[in-house]
Amino acid sequence: MDRQLELLQGTLDMLILKAVSLGPLHGYGILLRIQQISKERLEIQQGSLYPALYRLEHQGWIRSEWGESENKRKAKYYRLTATGKRKLLTETEKWNRMADVIAGILRTTAEEV
Amino acid sequence: MSFWSRIQSSLSATVRRSQMEGEMDAELRFHLEAYAEDLVRSGVPREEAMRRARIEFGGVERVKEQCREARGVGLFQAFWLDTRYGLRTLRKSPGFTAVAVATLALGIGINTAMFSVANGLLFSSLHIEQQSRVQQIGSRRRDPDWEPRLSLPEFQELTASTKQVFSAVFGGQYSLDGLSMEGSKPDRVFTEYVTGNYFQALGVKPLLGRFFRPSEGVAPGADPYIVLSYTYWKQHFAADPNIVGRKIALDSVPVTVIGVAPRDYRGLVSILQVQAYVPLAMIVPIENTPWVDFNKQTNRSLNVYGRLQPGVTVQQADAALAVAADQLAAAHPVDEKNAHLRAFSLEAARVDGGDLDQNGSSNVVSAIFMGLASLVLLLACVNVANLLLVRATVRGREMIIRSALGAHRSRLIRQTLTESLLLALLGGTGGVLFGRVGSSLFASLNLGSDFLIHFDFPFDWHVLAFSVAVAVLTGLVVGIVPAVRMARANLNPVLREGGRGIAGRSHKFRNALVTVQVAAALLLLIIAGLFTRTLEKSEHVDLGFEPSQVLTMMIDPSEIGYDSSRSAEFYNTLMPRLRAVPGVVSATSALSIPMGIIVNDSAAVTIAGYTPPPGQAPSSISFNLIGTDYFRTLRIPLEEGRAFTDADRSTSQHVAIVSRAMADQYWPRQDPIGRTFKLSFDSTPVQIVGVAGNARYGTMVGDLPAYFYLPYTQHSKSNTLLTLELRTEGDPAAMIAETERTIHDMAPALPVFEVQTLHQALYSLNGFLLFQVLAALAGIMGTLGLVLAVVGVYGVLSYVVGQKTSEIGVRMALGAQRGDILRIVFRQGLWIVGIGLALGIAASFGAARLVHSLITVSPIDPETYVAVSAALATIAMLACYVPARRAMLVEPMRALRQE
Repeated sequence: MDRQLELLQGTLDMLILKAVSLGPLHGYGILLRIQQISKERLEIQQGSLYPALYRLEHQGWIRSEWGESENKRKAKYYRLTATGKRKLLTETEKWNRMADVIAGILRTTAEEV
Repeated sequence: MSFWSRIQSSLSATVRRSQMEGEMDAELRFHLEAYAEDLVRSGVPREEAMRRARIEFGGVERVKEQCREARGVGLFQAFWLDTRYGLRTLRKSPGFTAVAVATLALGIGINTAMFSVANGLLFSSLHIEQQSRVQQIGSRRRDPDWEPRLSLPEFQELTASTKQVFSAVFGGQYSLDGLSMEGSKPDRVFTEYVTGNYFQALGVKPLLGRFFRPSEGVAPGADPYIVLSYTYWKQHFAADPNIVGRKIALDSVPVTVIGVAPRDYRGLVSILQVQAYVPLAMIVPIENTPWVDFNKQTNRSLNVYGRLQPGVTVQQADAALAVAADQLAAAHPVDEKNAHLRAFSLEAARVDGGDLDQNGSSNVVSAIFMGLASLVLLLACVNVANLLLVRATVRGREMIIRSALGAHRSRLIRQTLTESLLLALLGGTGGVLFGRVGSSLFASLNLGSDFLIHFDFPFDWHVLAFSVAVAVLTGLVVGIVPAVRMARANLNPVLREGGRGIAGRSHKFRNALVTVQVAAALLLLIIAGLFTRTLEKSEHVDLGFEPSQVLTMMIDPSEIGYDSSRSAEFYNTLMPRLRAVPGVVSATSALSIPMGIIVNDSAAVTIAGYTPPPGQAPSSISFNLIGTDYFRTLRIPLEEGRAFTDADRSTSQHVAIVSRAMADQYWPRQDPIGRTFKLSFDSTPVQIVGVAGNARYGTMVGDLPAYFYLPYTQHSKSNTLLTLELRTEGDPAAMIAETERTIHDMAPALPVFEVQTLHQALYSLNGFLLFQVLAALAGIMGTLGLVLAVVGVYGVLSYVVGQKTSEIGVRMALGAQRGDILRIVFRQGLWIVGIGLALGIAASFGAARLVHSLITVSPIDPETYVAVSAALATIAMLACYVPARRAMLVEPMRALRQE
């Protein structure tokens, strides 16, 4: 396993939106899902997940409801709302553009300047 | 994400707080347990798994706090938490809370009281429909003053020419009449003769029966109806539900009661209550006024109002009135020359019926006293701010710990501000109670009048809004500096200082505050001093007449149905009879008495050979109509010429006696006797036959304006209301019964009212009473200011001494004498008081100028300034002495051991 990367500031929200866009999840499930799709390469402070969830719900991008977990326990599930979907799209697009720009800059060699 | 849904989310987070807390608990517990189970599954022992889960999760409470914040609980929850926390801290230091709340209650209370008086007189509801849409129409011709009254023809022309801006033009004229029921003595009532559309235009609905119709009040004597006021109906007809249809008489003219006005509607003026309403043209038979006189273009006695059409602004109304004035002037080139018309708010004429544009002296008085009251509040604020600063110092540690634990600076400011707001609101509640007591004390003031007075200051939403606004503002003012200071608290110096608190620069600030306090207190005391000196002086002021041993009263024979000639006859018989009463030295009759309720008449006067200086308006001079023996009875010296005699009859040459001031102004260095001048209401010129000494009629203060006297016999016209003055040998009050008997021997049913000694009569709101009230009010505020300032000085110095105990200990250990210590503390006190006094004197010079119209002493009266400053300095020094002495008595060893 590679060394874990620390999460870039401000990206957790995007990852959460992405995670719940694939289907409703409870908090712990979101954590597992992100770790799973990142192939365990991202280090996420467990505690920091919940304030982010509450914030996103407060913004109206995700919605929560109580359901039953895989081992028959009560758990709070989060799902993406319509506005959340739009938000995820714009954020993804913004991120990609930003990544391109940064990568472009970093690729620049002395001759190109 | 809309703003509203976010608010909703915050709100639901706040309202459903316990539910949310429970859910948060469950959610986090689920996370921990699920993770622990996964750990167990991966081989970690069960008891170890939960521990690891917790550690990796991080601080659960911290996460919860962050979640709450994320949910926007901050908005409402924090406020609620702050409030609860604030209440708890206030409860924990009851001494501090009590002192602060009491101080603020005093400050806010005096403002509430002042405001509710001003509000009651000027702004409170008149209980009419859309009060702000009703305007009074004022007019101006030659005089610079905006007259509040118009004549009937002017009213009619206006009604026709301003239809576009006013949905209704209506009016009323005040009068005094005798109201009698069958077989009973008439009772004097304050009546308003109103146009038929009066009530309809005001939007007032009758309590019983009906009001007048627009067609009524037009033809003289055609509508013998009367509407009673609620109070009159209740007091004199025992609230008889069958009153409608009852026949009564007004000045012996039979009228039928057709309705009762609602309880809250008391007329359009403050203080005096209208007791009955009569259709306008009924004034002709009831008051014996010939129609031609009443309907004259220049007989301006009607207060005229207009209700603005929907959507019409006052500016548009003014424009339409300007056009109407031009039309008037064009139609009546002589009577309406230079006529101007303008709309005024109803407040303009609510208290005094003078110049509408001046807004009356009542507004000046209100403004001055509101100013003084706000100074008292300022002093109170400074004291409480000081207390809070001291607390900020003491609580510095608490704040620092909270900020070390991660509390935001803005959050700390909000917390402390919430506390001071709570204090101010508690103080405000106390203040409202205190203000109610104050204004009801004021309302219980005896105005010394038989008139039905409505001198009550309702606690309406104006007052409530004012008090709440003042309280909130107070809370912010008081709290902002300590809050910012507290939140700015820095960890290091406090820890270094051994936790004594955030001291340092706040000393300077506090000293500055107390300096301002001393200055404000001095200002209040000087104003109070000036009013007190005025009161003192006014009791010895040369009135120009001799008020002691004079009995005065009013009668109006028209109230028992006498017409003017029969009244004249009545007076002619009555006066010799009164003079013959044993104990009566002399007796006279006159239209008005000095400082009386019946305001002196004034007339535009044209003087041959005298042209007013450019820019100055032509002369409008006050006068009195008097009987024979007037000057002898009042002991006004007749300096030249002769008094009026029985020979001055309506048929003989019209004559006048002018005051010394008038003689000096218009005939300087000339003999005025034999000269003539013309009155606006009399076609024949009057000839001066005498010059009388100056006497004070209208006010106790200011210059003595020109004044003249006319014989009652030559100008009475239809007026039958007169005052009688009797100079007596002994106590005038002892002569009341005998005098009334003499009058009733001639006319048993004639009401005699306002029976009082002239000395009592001078205690009217125009006379001494005004000064008494002003001096008392200013005195109360000055005393409050003094107490607050002394407390402020004392508090600051005590605090300084407390803070410096160890320094003093060191100094003494190093050999400082007790006297040195005393000097150090004293010096600081002296600085504060000295600078405060200097500032206060400077401010007083400015402020006293504002009250100069209300005082008889000079605004920079040196005696007042010196005496008050000395007194304040002495008391302030005493306030310094106590803490200084405490400092002097510090035991060096104990002080040092405290470290």
